[in-house]
Amino acid sequence: MSIFSWLRPVQPMLPEDVQQRLERLPAPAPLGECSLREQRWVVLDLETTGLNLNKDQVLSIGAVVIEDGAIDFSQQFERTLQCDKQKLGPSVLIHGLAPSEIAAGSDPAEALLAFMEFVGDSPLLAFHAPFDSHMLGRALKDYLGYRLQHTFLDVADLAPMLCPQAHLRKAGLDDWIDWCKLQVFDRHNASADALATAELALILFSRARQQQIHSPLELQQHLSQWKRRQRAPSL
Amino acid sequence: MVMKKTDAFTQAGKTAVLQNIQGTLQFLQRFPPFNQMENAHLAYLVEQCLLRFYAPGETIIKPADGTVEHFYIVKQGRVVGERPHSAKGGTETTFEITTGECFPLAALLGERATRTEHRAGEDTFCLQLNKQAFIKLFALSSPFRDFALRGVSSLLDQFNQQVQQKSAQTLGPQYSLNTRLGELAMRHPVSCNPDMPLREAVKLMHEQQVGSIVVVNEQKAPVGIFTLRDLRHVVADGSGDFSEAIAAHMTPTPFYLSPDHSAFDAAIAMTERHIAHVCLVKDHRLCGVVSERDLFSLQRVDLVHLARTISSAPKVESLVALRGEIGQLVERMLAHGASSTQITQIITLLNDHTVCRVIELTLADKGDPGVPFSWLCFGSEGRREQTLHTDQDNGILFEARDAAHAAQIRGLLLPIAQQINQSLALCGFTLCKGNIMAGNPELCLSRAEWARRFAAFIREATPENLLSSSIYFDLRVVWGDEQGCEQLRQQVLEQVADNRLFQRMMAENALRHRPPVGRFRDFVLSRKNGEKATLDLKVQGLTPFVDGARLLALANGIEANNTLERLRQLVIKDVIQPLDGAAYEEAYHFIQQTRMQQHQLQTRENLPYSNRVDPDSLNHLDRRILRESLRQAQRLQSSLTLRYQL
Repeated sequence: MSIFSWLRPVQPMLPEDVQQRLERLPAPAPLGECSLREQRWVVLDLETTGLNLNKDQVLSIGAVVIEDGAIDFSQQFERTLQCDKQKLGPSVLIHGLAPSEIAAGSDPAEALLAFMEFVGDSPLLAFHAPFDSHMLGRALKDYLGYRLQHTFLDVADLAPMLCPQAHLRKAGLDDWIDWCKLQVFDRHNASADALATAELALILFSRARQQQIHSPLELQQHLSQWKRRQRAPSL
Repeated sequence: MVMKKTDAFTQAGKTAVLQNIQGTLQFLQRFPPFNQMENAHLAYLVEQCLLRFYAPGETIIKPADGTVEHFYIVKQGRVVGERPHSAKGGTETTFEITTGECFPLAALLGERATRTEHRAGEDTFCLQLNKQAFIKLFALSSPFRDFALRGVSSLLDQFNQQVQQKSAQTLGPQYSLNTRLGELAMRHPVSCNPDMPLREAVKLMHEQQVGSIVVVNEQKAPVGIFTLRDLRHVVADGSGDFSEAIAAHMTPTPFYLSPDHSAFDAAIAMTERHIAHVCLVKDHRLCGVVSERDLFSLQRVDLVHLARTISSAPKVESLVALRGEIGQLVERMLAHGASSTQITQIITLLNDHTVCRVIELTLADKGDPGVPFSWLCFGSEGRREQTLHTDQDNGILFEARDAAHAAQIRGLLLPIAQQINQSLALCGFTLCKGNIMAGNPELCLSRAEWARRFAAFIREATPENLLSSSIYFDLRVVWGDEQGCEQLRQQVLEQVADNRLFQRMMAENALRHRPPVGRFRDFVLSRKNGEKATLDLKVQGLTPFVDGARLLALANGIEANNTLERLRQLVIKDVIQPLDGAAYEEAYHFIQQTRMQQHQLQTRENLPYSNRVDPDSLNHLDRRILRESLRQAQRLQSSLTLRYQL
């Protein structure tokens, strides 16, 4: 991050059209009492330069949508963000410098804005969601001055909560894919991981309904109780 | 500038999304019809899809959902079709659909509800395509359209297309025996009133360049037909007065069909009746005439001609020569898309003509014994299910006062019968290894003797008798009076209906040959001394249907012999459910058709005839249909198990 960003106001300077688009972004909707099926979900996976929450950068965003209880192939999002340190920061847009090559990635601010437009007011699902939530939140703040307030549910928590018989502790996405016998195609990018996570989520929603968890709100409540129990197993 | 940038972004996004869709695309490309579809069409399909998950037991679609709105492809898992079980309540699995397979094509194209509840058999993911997208793909992609249509128009039609493609390439345009007669008879029919003078009628025929004129009444209903053949008679007779009304010379009450009948129906009628013109009648009014020439300029399948040649063959040697033509005819008919039923029907018809002609020639040669008799046939010939390669299964039925009289008549008939058997052998009807032939004294019996013999089969259900009843009870008269045979049949029906034990034994007998499909998925095949694993289409595929249909028909007083006809009547009599009946029929059709195609192939490659097929040699689609067809045989058998508590 450029040293000057400390001196600047918190809001990065944005072109007017970007500003307008930001303002039009809907506020995140809280999880409600509708059925799991009625809820639109965005399933997200990020690729980053590393696992350091404060230093590393988002390299690419892959996301699919679960709507009406199904993964909708017509709604998918995949962007590679331009990651050259020299070109990072809001200056890219101000200078009107388009990415020199598409292969080199999209302008991060534009990609992030497009992603938030894609998300709309839907809650997000991700495997190890806190990481994605943090990285995405930081990127949104840096590039767009946008505060991410969307609800994230962690599939890595939902899976052991809904499938206690799996006895998988601290398991990764691959472990759960194996356990659910999911046949996934080549997984080498964020989008494919998002798809695999979404397929896992569909199975988990089905398990949730069998356990009488019918609404996103109930799911969220069960999840926080479960997490409390995990932290205090003696209770 | 900004616009251009946005475009670039959009483009970048698209490329990226395509990368992700690529995986699904590559997955689908492992299966038909997707492996034949253009990439753009396939990508469109994937982009329009929803991916849904179904837990085991969860319903995907069911009849109560109403008109089907989606097309499904199984991405992972197993979908089972369930129908309410007719006898025991509950449901039974009628089919299984697994990775890469699609459903429910018939309901989707028929714009109706599915007839079968589709449930997930295990954790299952399905790609779900909406109807609009399905319709668009159907219009855009011909491999997809072909596949969808072939999936719909019954198992048999799917196969027909392939049969046609394989053997019809040299035969040109896709003429079909299934063409509606209404489409064939383009020309307005030439007709006249009964009181038109013959001279004028002939003049009219000459002007119109037609071979026939239909005589109609005031309501335009056909009352007679006058053809060039009739004209020849009038002229040859010399007595003809051409000023007489045509009514005096016409053939009254001409045979007619509706315009909705098929070319095949007309061909069969012409062959059976030795006529060259068929009137088309709709709402009691003449609306067309189809001539032999119309039919065969279209078909180039000279069925009527062949039948006529057989019926007028001057000696057995000429019949022998005609056998080869029957083979060619069958090949051509397969090429023209005839179904296995149509072909077995034609073969039976031509074989019947041949048998009759052999009998007539033998009688002419040996002299008429002066005793009326009927020539019976049994087994597949009796059921009218002959393929080109059949054994003789025949016998003689005659009337006699008592045992001594019977013995005397037998003495007269046996030499003739033996001669007929030998002549038939020359004509390609292989002599029966089990000596089930009219020349055998045990099969040249009076009605009373036959009746005793049949009653014994039913009374003492020994394995041998059960086997015999499975051959003899499919009896039919080929030549001679049919009354005696009908009386025998009635007695058999009454006795079987009364004898529950016999029925039970027959049911056990019908379970001897188990269709080689496993509980799940694929074939269970026997492998002999390292040979390739094969299955016997006749014994393991057709026999379960034939045996099951025979048992149910005999037990329920159904006179029909033909397996499909028996199934139809069993449906009418409410013995089996319409859905089951239709499924059995389709399955039987398909197995028979596969078998015939196999035979044709063997002929072409100079291989010995065999009913064994290696499922691996079939393409993906055929393999699947065969598997499902055999599963239907399995269902029929399990319904017998239930019915007779075996």
